[in-house]
Amino acid sequence: MNASLQITGLSKRYGSVCALDGVELPVERCAVLALLGPNGAGKSTLFGCLLGLTPPTYGTILWHGKPIGDTERTVIGYMPERVALYSHSSVLENGLFFAGLKNQPSAELEYQLRRVGLYHVRDRKVRQLSKGMLQRLGLAIALCGRPELLILDEPFNGLDPALLEGLQGILRQERERGATMLISTHTMSAIEPLATHVAVLLEGKLAAQGSIEALREQFGTEESLETIYHAIARDRQRTKLEEVFA
Amino acid sequence: MIADWPISTICGSRREEALTFHAKMTREARYLGFRQIAIVATKELRDRLRNGWVIACALVWLGAIGLTSLFGLVQMGRIGVQGYERTTVSLLNLVQYLVPLLAVLVGHDLIVREREDRTLNLVLAGGVSRFRLLLGKFLGGCLTVALPLVLGFVIAGTVIGLAAGTSALASFARLAVSGLALGIVFCAVGLLVSTICRSRIQALVLALLAWCAAVFVFDLIALGVIVSTQSVNAAQEIELICDATHVNSLADVHSAFDSAAPTHAAAAPRASSASSAWLWLNPVDLFRVINLPTALGVAKPVLGAVLSGLLWLAFTLGIGARRLKQMDL
Repeated sequence: MNASLQITGLSKRYGSVCALDGVELPVERCAVLALLGPNGAGKSTLFGCLLGLTPPTYGTILWHGKPIGDTERTVIGYMPERVALYSHSSVLENGLFFAGLKNQPSAELEYQLRRVGLYHVRDRKVRQLSKGMLQRLGLAIALCGRPELLILDEPFNGLDPALLEGLQGILRQERERGATMLISTHTMSAIEPLATHVAVLLEGKLAAQGSIEALREQFGTEESLETIYHAIARDRQRTKLEEVFA
Repeated sequence: MIADWPISTICGSRREEALTFHAKMTREARYLGFRQIAIVATKELRDRLRNGWVIACALVWLGAIGLTSLFGLVQMGRIGVQGYERTTVSLLNLVQYLVPLLAVLVGHDLIVREREDRTLNLVLAGGVSRFRLLLGKFLGGCLTVALPLVLGFVIAGTVIGLAAGTSALASFARLAVSGLALGIVFCAVGLLVSTICRSRIQALVLALLAWCAAVFVFDLIALGVIVSTQSVNAAQEIELICDATHVNSLADVHSAFDSAAPTHAAAAPRASSASSAWLWLNPVDLFRVINLPTALGVAKPVLGAVLSGLLWLAFTLGIGARRLKQMDL
């Protein structure tokens, strides 16, 4: 398999709490991986380890066969679940700051602002933006520099149907461009038309992973992604109960 | 893609090409590193300029220097602009308290503010290494401390020079430069506090405690220890160095400039290198000693002050970098 991102034996412990437990996850080049799981499953911790925000307790992360470091992270676009920017600065100032850190010219930022429909409010302070606008600004910053790897943490949260459709359109374009994407979400209907692969995290462990087709074959269903996810979760629950009573 | 191949596996002209490519990538990474440090520093300074901090501090320094020069001799019944040397003596107390205070206030929230606001995640996720972030923040903090201080000293210094008709700048310039160095050291102390604390309020309290310790507590403890272990002469000498209020109230420091006659203070023995070595521990004490009037006859350990300042910077930035590296976001 042509894995551009290779996560091996990744574990993260906070004292006695195990947030990630030996996660093995290869991600193919140009794949769109939907990372599913309930709240507290370890999705954001996994992203934190990828982005160098959280040092893993064990395990390695390789990007094109090399350990992922700060230089490699300049080709990663990241949009956090709660987009936090400098509220006293304008849209353009925020964008230019983050674009500058990635060595991107202002023209690239302006292009991305136009793409997400925020160019006309570029001089507005970030504190005056609506939640949807803030999400789009976070996306524009993540897209700046046409990153090889896009990591989006709950990007569909709190978007109205029109914005949701717009975001799906942009992500479709990114997929066609050849970007590898890791998207965590609870809105499975939104990710279903985009995702090529699925990984399900339950209590820090990878319960299932693979292409959507392979998972559909494995779970014997032609149903939606949500149905597959629930089937995996039920299966996992049953296994756990069997282990307890064994 | 040639960048993905280990160089040892490539032969012939392709090897040359690979080496050139890797050298180019290294150069670009280094350039990007400097650029990221400069961007973080510039943003810090721009934010402080925008929120009025720099302007307010510049006004404080202008006012403080101007008023001190004008009313510094009021206890002797004189009002009017003093020359540089007298202004320096009058300013010494103010600078030794105010510069460290303003600098720790600038430094204390450099990191913790971004951590609380969660903007730190996005900055670090963008490929900025934690060490570069620390350097950028430190540089931005130093510029924020330096800009108003330099503005205040340059503008007020020019006015004093013109009004008093004096050109003996040495002591005034020494006060400005050593004050700037003191500010940089305390900005690093504030930055260290910022990497240790989890909230802004915690950082503010710790920063103020650090300031109190350096400005008041260290001297009291040092005086207590030395007076109880050394001779009376040594105690007097140390008291002179430690207590700037004492210096000002001592028999006419100012009158030393009026006559060549030795003053009470000038009769004090020169500080021996052995008894003043402890000063190296506290940048505030070093600053004070370096700026004491020559008439008091106290040795000025300039090299020691520079070394001590550099050690303080290495210590605070080193611990800060370590803390930041271990920080779990």
